Amino acid sequence: MDCHKVREVVFLYADKEMDGELLISFEQHVAICPECARRAVHAERLIMVVRKRCGRQMAPADLRRRILTSLRHREAGN
Amino acid sequence: MSKKVDSSHSQGWNFEAAAMPFVDSLYNTAYRMTRNSEDAQDLVQETYLKAYRHYDKFQEGTNFKAWLFKILKNSFINNYRKKQSRPPQSDFAEIEDALESRVSDEATQNIKNPEDELLEDVLDEDVQRALDELPHDYRMAILLADLEGFSYKEIAEILEVPLGTVMSRLYRGRKLLESAMLDYAREHGYLRDGSPAKMRTRDADSKEYRDKASG
Repeated sequence: MDCHKVREVVFLYADKEMDGELLISFEQHVAICPECARRAVHAERLIMVVRKRCGRQMAPADLRRRILTSLRHREAGN
Repeated sequence: MSKKVDSSHSQGWNFEAAAMPFVDSLYNTAYRMTRNSEDAQDLVQETYLKAYRHYDKFQEGTNFKAWLFKILKNSFINNYRKKQSRPPQSDFAEIEDALESRVSDEATQNIKNPEDELLEDVLDEDVQRALDELPHDYRMAILLADLEGFSYKEIAEILEVPLGTVMSRLYRGRKLLESAMLDYAREHGYLRDGSPAKMRTRDADSKEYRDKASG
């Protein structure tokens, strides 16, 4: 694998979607290329930042009630 | 036969038990897609009603959560996508252009990326704003991968696109996201000190822009 290919598939690696031959040749390249090793870490970091910084919005309690009510209404109507 | 009569009742309860644990996940995605709570709630409720109506079409043993998200996605496209005049496409066209040149710069120059250590310094609100303003195709792919932890294969199923499209949306979406959130961080001034190289570039850019603008 060359640096160009690493750039193309780096998110596959960071998302743990890479396996088999591709993973082996990715890891072989990254082991000898500091620039691509940095790229791989950077991709993982970016994913972590999105995951951690985008606070999850919890559903309002009322929404659960609304859903259950409408489902049971449907059910009764059947 | 009597079993069959029972099953319509028990189906409702099975459905509830299977589906209700995903309210928060569906709501979070709906909220990030519609960018307001009321629309998000309507979208989730519609998703549940549709899912209930078509529960018989759900194939047992396949991924129920992914099936619910597919219904959410379709409901979003039908109801909200047309309404959303934002995000401003022209802005994103500019960012995409900038991104293209940056990607090719990176390809040709072996530069050390000065943003490497800066990602963690970006404030939550700037990450969220960057995400909220991404074109919805990219945003949805990122939400499903990064916040819901779906695999590429599941995302392909939910979005009903080929695997390669999932990969390219994640790639382009994340590059755009990164570029936008770092820009917002610099706009707000707090990445200035950490990123002297980049600031020089930007100053040069804006000076050039001013020169051009003033004729």
